[in-house]
Amino acid sequence: MAIDIIKPTAPAAIDADLSDPALIKLRDLIYRMSGIYHPDNKFYLLATRARLRMKALSTVTFAEYIEQLTTRPNRDAEMRSLLNEITIGETYFFRSQAQCDAISKILVPQLTAMSSKQGFKKLRVWSAGCSTGEEPYTLSILLGEQIAQNFADWTFEILATDLNENSITKCREGLYAEYAVRNLNSERRQKYFKQEGAFFRINEAVKAPIKFERLNLQDQTRMLFMKGFDLIFCCNVLIYFDGVAKRRTVDHFFNGLIPGGYFFLGECETLFGIYDQFRLVHLPGTAAYQRPLPEGVTTP
Amino acid sequence: MSTTVMPELRKRVEKLRSLPSSPAVLQPLLELLRKPPDQVEINQVVKLVSYEKTIAAQLLRIANSALYGRSMPAESIQAAVFTLGIQRIEDVLISSCFSKLVPKEKWVVDPGVFWRHSFGCALVCREFAEQIEYGDADKAYLAGLLHDLGIIVNSLAYTKEYREVLARAVDTGRPLVEQEQETLGFTHCDSGAILANTWQLPGTITEVIEWHHDVENSPSTNALIGIVHLGDLLCRMRGLGYGYGEWRAVDLEADPAWIALAKHCPKLKNMDLARFTMDLDSYVVRITKLVDTIFSPSQEVSTAER
Repeated sequence: MAIDIIKPTAPAAIDADLSDPALIKLRDLIYRMSGIYHPDNKFYLLATRARLRMKALSTVTFAEYIEQLTTRPNRDAEMRSLLNEITIGETYFFRSQAQCDAISKILVPQLTAMSSKQGFKKLRVWSAGCSTGEEPYTLSILLGEQIAQNFADWTFEILATDLNENSITKCREGLYAEYAVRNLNSERRQKYFKQEGAFFRINEAVKAPIKFERLNLQDQTRMLFMKGFDLIFCCNVLIYFDGVAKRRTVDHFFNGLIPGGYFFLGECETLFGIYDQFRLVHLPGTAAYQRPLPEGVTTP
Repeated sequence: MSTTVMPELRKRVEKLRSLPSSPAVLQPLLELLRKPPDQVEINQVVKLVSYEKTIAAQLLRIANSALYGRSMPAESIQAAVFTLGIQRIEDVLISSCFSKLVPKEKWVVDPGVFWRHSFGCALVCREFAEQIEYGDADKAYLAGLLHDLGIIVNSLAYTKEYREVLARAVDTGRPLVEQEQETLGFTHCDSGAILANTWQLPGTITEVIEWHHDVENSPSTNALIGIVHLGDLLCRMRGLGYGYGEWRAVDLEADPAWIALAKHCPKLKNMDLARFTMDLDSYVVRITKLVDTIFSPSQEVSTAER
C-alpha cells in the first residue's frame, strides 16, 4: 500500500512537463554537470527557465535543447547561460529562514562552545562568491544580533570575496533596491539601513565586521592560506566549475574550516560524487556539510 | 521502561480495547493490510468500506474532490474505490479508524500534524527501502505509517500529562520521545508496543513501534526498525515532524541505525542522501494535500487544541 503521486494543480503545460522524459533527462544532466538538483516540486522552475533559453535559441523541444547542451560546439557557453538563468534572482537578504535559524539557534551555540574550550572568542566566517553582498551583510546582521544577545564577550569577522571587481565595489557601496530587502521586517530595515529614495543603504555598523576582497577561487596560492574558518558559504559558484576544479576548490574549503566547522552550498546544490570528506548534516529545514571532528571528540 | 510504570501503563492501555469508538472495520482492515495491494480484491474493500457509513461518505467526498478531477461525480462506493485505488483507500481507512479511536477533545498532537508525519514517514520509508533494495517496500510503508501508534495511546490514556509533555517539547525544541521519558517515565514506543501486542499486529511492525527510537538496544535484527528510525528522523528534520522545530544537527550517516542498516543493505553506502532529502521536500506538498482532503473541516475529527 502506498500514497500515489498527486499531480500538482498547475497549468496543463507544466503538468505535461512532469511526465516528459526529456525534461527528466535535462534535470539529470544539470545535476551531473553542476550539482544543482530540481526535486519534483521545483520541476516547473526548471521547465520555465529552460524554456527561456530555448526561446532565445528558437528550440522547440526539450530533447532538441539537450542536444544543444551536449553535442553542439557552444555547449559549454549554453550550459553557463542556462545555469545563469536557473540561479538568477536568488540573492536577497535573509533568503533562507531555515538556514538563518539553524545558524543562530544551533551552529553559533555549538561553535562557540567548541572554540571556548580552546580559549578563542572570535567566530570567523567566509562568504566565498559573495556577489553583490546580500549574503555577508545578512550574516553580519544575524551574528551581530545573536552575539549581542547571548555571547556578549564574543566577536566575529566575515571575509567576503568575489572574482568580479564590480561586485566587490557594489558590496562596499551597500546600496540596495526594494527587491533585496523584501524579506526584512520594518524593524530590521530601520535598524540596519538608511532609506535613500527608493533605495536602502546599509549601516556602517553592519559593514564594520566585513572585509571585502577580490579573490579567484582558482588561485591555488591564495587558497592555501585561507584557514581557520568556523563557517564557509559558497552558494551557486561551484556549479560553473568542471569536476577537477570543483574537487580542488572544495578541498580548499575543507582545509579552510576548523574541525567541526560547517560548509554551506546553495539550497539545491550537493557535493554527491564530487567530494566525500565532509559529513552531510541535517538541520531543521536545511542541510550543511561539516568537517569531521577528530576521532573521539564529540560535538557539544 | 521502568517496572513501576509498566503495570499502570498496561492497565490504562488495555482500556482501549473496550472503547466504543473502536470501529468494527479495524480487524478486517489489519488483515487486508498484511496482503500486498495486488492480492487484495476490490469486493473485499467495498465490503469493508460499507461497514462504516462515515468512512464511505468520506471516500465519496475525496473521490469527488478536485484532487482527482473526475468529469462525472462518483455516486457509489465501487466508483469511489476505482477512482482512489486500493492503496489510497487503505490510507484513508487506516487514518480514519485510528482517528476515530480518539475523541476530539483528547487529541494532543493536532490530528492533521500527526497524519502528515505518519504518511510522510510511510512514504519516505517506502522510497528509502526501494533505493537501498531492502526487498519489501510495501511493508516499510506500513511500518512507517503505524510507527507512532503510541502517540495515539498516550493522547487517550494520559491526555493531561501528554499535553504537558508536548508543550515542554515545543518550548525547548527537544525530541518528543526524550520529553516523554523525562515527564512520564515511558515513551510512545512503550505504550504503542502494548497496544500493538494487544491488537496482534504483525511481529515485525510491533518491533518497529517498540524500538524505532532505540535501535541500538533492540534485541531484533529486523532492518525495518532502522529504516523507520531514519525515515522518522528525516521527516522531523524536513518539516514533517510534530509541528515544531527540533533544534539540533543530525548526522544520519553516523547514526547507529544507519551503520547497522548498511550491513543489511550495502546499497546504503552509495546512496545520494542530499538528493533524497530534497526529494522529500516535494513529498511535503503531496502529503499535505492528502491529509487536508481526508481531514477537511466537514469531518468529525477536527483540529484539536494544544
